[in-house]
Amino acid sequence: MAPPAQSQRSQSPSQPSGKSEVSDLKLQLRQLAGSRAPGVDDSKRELFKKVISYMTIGIDVSSLFGEMVMCSTTSDIVLKKMCYLYVGNYAKVNPDLALLTINFLQRDCHDQDPMIRGLALRSLCSLRVANLVEYLVGPLGSGLKDSNSYVRMVAVIGVLKLYHISASTCVDADFPSTLKHLMLNDSDTQVVANCLSSLQEIWSAEASTSEEASREREALISKPVIYYLLNRIKEFSEWAQCLVLELVTKYVPSESSEIFDIMNLLEDRLQHANGAVVLATVKVFLQLTLSMTDVHQQVYERIKAPLLTLVSSGSPEQSYAVLSHLHLLVMRAPYVFSSDYKHFYCQYNEPSYVKRLKLEMLTAVANESNTYEIVTELCEYAANVDIPIARESIRAVGKIALQQYDVNAIVDRLLQFLEMEKDYVTAEALVLVKDLLRKYPQWSHDCIAVVGNISSKNVQEPKAKAALIWMLGEYSQDMQDAPYILESLVENWDEEHSAEVRLHLLTAVMKCFFKRPPETQSALGAALAAGVADFHQDVHDRALFYYRILRYNVSVAERVVNPPKQAVSVFADTQSSEIKDRIFDEFNSLSVLYQKPSYMFTDKEHRGPLEFADELGNLSIGEAADNVVSSQRVEENDKDLLLTTAEKEETRAGHSQQASFGIDDLLGLGMPAVPNVPSPPQLKLNTKAALDPSTFQQKWRQLPIALSQELSLSPQAVAALTAPQALLRHMQSHSIHCIASGGQSPNFKFFFFAQKYEESSNYLVECIINTSSGKAQVKVKADDQSTSQAFSTLFESALSKFGTP
Amino acid sequence: MPVAASAIYFLNLRGDVLINRLYRDDVGGNMVDAFRMHIMQTKELGTCPVRQIGGCSFFYMRISNVYIVIVVSSNANVACAFKFVVEAVALFKSYFGGAFDEDAIRNNFVLIYELLDEIMDFGYPQNLSPEILKLYITQEGVRSPFSSKPSDKPVPNATLQVTGAVGWRREGLVYKKNEVFLDIVESVNLLMSSKGSVLRCDVTGKILMKCFLSGMPDLKLGLNDKIGLEKESELKSRPAKSGKTIELDDVTFHQCVNLTRFNSEKTVSFVPPDGEFELMKYRITEGVNLPFRVLPTIKELGRTRMEVNVKVKSVFGAKMFALGVVIKIPVPKQTAKTSFQVTSGRAKYQASIDCLVWKIRKFPGQTEPTLSAEVELISTMAEKKSWTRPPIQMEFQVPMFTASGLRVRFLKVWEKSGYNTVEWVRYITKAGSYEIRQLVVSGSKLVMAEGAIRLFSTGSRCHEIRRGEGHLPGPTQPAFDM
Repeated sequence: MAPPAQSQRSQSPSQPSGKSEVSDLKLQLRQLAGSRAPGVDDSKRELFKKVISYMTIGIDVSSLFGEMVMCSTTSDIVLKKMCYLYVGNYAKVNPDLALLTINFLQRDCHDQDPMIRGLALRSLCSLRVANLVEYLVGPLGSGLKDSNSYVRMVAVIGVLKLYHISASTCVDADFPSTLKHLMLNDSDTQVVANCLSSLQEIWSAEASTSEEASREREALISKPVIYYLLNRIKEFSEWAQCLVLELVTKYVPSESSEIFDIMNLLEDRLQHANGAVVLATVKVFLQLTLSMTDVHQQVYERIKAPLLTLVSSGSPEQSYAVLSHLHLLVMRAPYVFSSDYKHFYCQYNEPSYVKRLKLEMLTAVANESNTYEIVTELCEYAANVDIPIARESIRAVGKIALQQYDVNAIVDRLLQFLEMEKDYVTAEALVLVKDLLRKYPQWSHDCIAVVGNISSKNVQEPKAKAALIWMLGEYSQDMQDAPYILESLVENWDEEHSAEVRLHLLTAVMKCFFKRPPETQSALGAALAAGVADFHQDVHDRALFYYRILRYNVSVAERVVNPPKQAVSVFADTQSSEIKDRIFDEFNSLSVLYQKPSYMFTDKEHRGPLEFADELGNLSIGEAADNVVSSQRVEENDKDLLLTTAEKEETRAGHSQQASFGIDDLLGLGMPAVPNVPSPPQLKLNTKAALDPSTFQQKWRQLPIALSQELSLSPQAVAALTAPQALLRHMQSHSIHCIASGGQSPNFKFFFFAQKYEESSNYLVECIINTSSGKAQVKVKADDQSTSQAFSTLFESALSKFGTP
Repeated sequence: MPVAASAIYFLNLRGDVLINRLYRDDVGGNMVDAFRMHIMQTKELGTCPVRQIGGCSFFYMRISNVYIVIVVSSNANVACAFKFVVEAVALFKSYFGGAFDEDAIRNNFVLIYELLDEIMDFGYPQNLSPEILKLYITQEGVRSPFSSKPSDKPVPNATLQVTGAVGWRREGLVYKKNEVFLDIVESVNLLMSSKGSVLRCDVTGKILMKCFLSGMPDLKLGLNDKIGLEKESELKSRPAKSGKTIELDDVTFHQCVNLTRFNSEKTVSFVPPDGEFELMKYRITEGVNLPFRVLPTIKELGRTRMEVNVKVKSVFGAKMFALGVVIKIPVPKQTAKTSFQVTSGRAKYQASIDCLVWKIRKFPGQTEPTLSAEVELISTMAEKKSWTRPPIQMEFQVPMFTASGLRVRFLKVWEKSGYNTVEWVRYITKAGSYEIRQLVVSGSKLVMAEGAIRLFSTGSRCHEIRRGEGHLPGPTQPAFDM
């Protein structure tokens, strides 16, 4: 029981500290201790009750130890029990005082009432004080030989308790062999069952040091012992039956006739009302027939009905435990339950943990014949109030789609999900469509048509966004807007918090670039620049890698980044079959619920990070500090690296026409706030360019016209240009700023300016737009005439995107 | 090892410890803090009944306003642990005489400590049978039945029962009037799609018995189940009686039933425990007679109005009645005003559960009352979409009706003293989860969700059967034959 000091801490401050009450009780107990007046037991009982209730709520009543012991001379059995409880609770923290209790407990061990003998013995063994073990051996020895089975039953567990306090005392007293004798000869089955539990524990613990113990442990699963227990199985209590059945699973029969004998003997256990017995029996059947494939299959048929009953009866927690096991079985033999799929339909009021497992079951049992019904049912859940379940069910539809060959109908359903206009539904469906396309590229046409209608702004979840971006990159030739959507995503690079999305974005822009170079060029440049400047190491590395491979050779880059793909036929299974077999061996245990073998959660080294909050707190702080340090270091290294590559580039400029656009060898002048990053392979504009109107006017007068052209505006752009401000904002997002604007529909006039990234080289633009003709007259002037063509292209692409979402 | 529970805790909803019992030292005393911190105070609560925290696994169940938590440190048998909790609660209930909640625990904590000591020792389940425990742990907490007796003689006998083979019945019971009560209680589960087809339908039934019989009687129960009847006709080499036979998908029995005999002869024979117990449970999926058909029509008239029409048909015998019929029709959260017309019973809008609740206390067979309601909604753009159309749910009890058609053919009592017994048999069918999904039609389009349910005429004429005329029921003369 909880040490009082700790429990007190958890008390609410409003609770009484209990000090005055405890001293009150002390006084009253003292008065009653010696009294032999009639009715004294009743008043004692009240007092004891108070003590126990204080103890329960965590008030330290250990100071009453002496008085409690004094009061323990009574024939009232309830009083005795309360006293035993108290003593058992505090003896460990008061080992000296515990000595006081030995006397009366030992005396009670010889009481003529077997009930008292048993209780006293149990309490004696529960004191858990190491230096008192010598007093245990005698009473335990006589307890094991007691004529009464109740006392023997208690004594057997007492031996186990003694073993845990002092293993050597227990072994020296030769208790294990006494237990073995009792186990094989006692008339009472509960005594036998307790012997079995105790011996299993003792010999398992001893086996590592003693060869004899490991032999004994083996002997427990020898034929005579197993047969002896099996023949008596009906006499055992239901809990003891579980114990015996578990032991039987470890037994290896020497011939197949034995297997059938055991199964015939145990078959009626499958009808037992206790689900634990049924599951234990199922385990015996499965384990015994592992080597006989056809019988093993028959076993599946036989255990189906009892298991389905267990699912639908009992508390949700019990159903949960059983469903976990069904899930394990269905993974091994999906066809067994495929006709019973309706048992796994969710009820509206079921707890979500049951629903979740049922969804997994539905996914697992889906086959050609029932897919339609199952998917229809799953689609119902997509509108479920319980959002996690709705998500799970969409995922389940996707999983089924990936399992089946005839996915026609399922694809339609998934595409309907995309049109449901619920964020989480869209998000899940996007991820699924992506996986689906990887497996069935032939569906791309239908899917892309729908996916193209989804605005990337409505997709916030990283996984979904990554999926959308992947599709944009992969199918950019089929999606008209792909480069522009990607470009706008690149522009919002800084707002994208998920590294996964940024990684996908880099790759998608690359892929898009290979398919539609002119349209993607600017986005690629921006993406690579942003990627190289990214603080996330993977993003940074990938951007740098892309950059270099582009510099090396564009066609090589294409072969690396966008090779022709083969459809994925089988998605990798996350769990190895070895682990699955281990879990199967540990059927009917926690392993099945956790879906990992027991060593992973019981051995300390596998347990993973500690989960207690304070420890977790320390842990995360440590990690964060590490991260900071490492990322700083990485950044520094990268800067060195980048500078040198930038320098080298000067000599190799112009290697690739498309990719080397606008590489500048000029070093930055000022702008200390901007990280020192090399220019990406094209013209880059300063997003925060500033120019005052007078300088603009002066320059406009001074500079010659570098370029003059007429551009056509798209109908969308014309439609969007209701007021000058709309265009201003749009151009600003492309780092082209407006210094003056005016006019009314249909004629607008704008003066724009832009600044080369990290240089004070300016571009000035006069732009006259006539919305009725859809034409724009553009005049460009530049400080650096050589790059005016590049700027013009940039301006043109910026303008052409106006009005597109 | 099945369950070596390290500790068991009883907590109230705030997380205060009501009772705790540490069986083993291998978990720390602050386990309950871990549970509070990582499960009760997080969203985790209720998402999974088994959780691992640190090196320990926590199994928890909520029963009324109490959490029962079992802590184990090794790879335990989960099914066993949950079953143990369920059984333990049943045991406590039988001691408290009904409710199991925080108050009951507070009022009986000494008793619970006593019981916890007996039902589990060092983490291993011991005896949980109320019949036996009540022999030596009495509610009033009086002295041990043994201590008052000077001689040790009756003790071996009594404690043999405490731990022994015929765990469920003690010898030497005497009743003036020997009576057996047998209830067949079925709950029928239905899931109907919005298009009116039955997605899932099954019956889980149980046979509850109450025995007040002297001595060590042997009982034999005959049902109209298919296997039993076939076996019988085979044994007696006479053709099986015509009439409906029931195919039981799966049966489980109380431990008192002789399963070997059931498997060989297909008869249910047993020495019953004294008092109340659950004799058997069964499950049926084929040929279920649904007692009610629900035909909803829900129309959305624009953004702010809905028209709800629900017709409920009772398809059991005209002479029978269903009791306590409640039909819950979910409506959107933003319901502002409702008006009703019902041909039977009473209806109202219950805002706390967002449902129209239609109650009919006594619902005769072969009738079809209707409800028509108009629902006005507050017009909001945002919340409209979030209405997910939960299914219509129904509660009812139909006495003397079994959805499966299961009947008791005979119940024989044999005791060596040859006394007379009175047997009572009752049937009742309740709604388990009876769900009908809604199809909401917008505008004036009207689609009837017509149930494509197979209906059987139920022609059952079952009443309480009383057989008091005393003679020993012999095999040739079944106690009653239906």
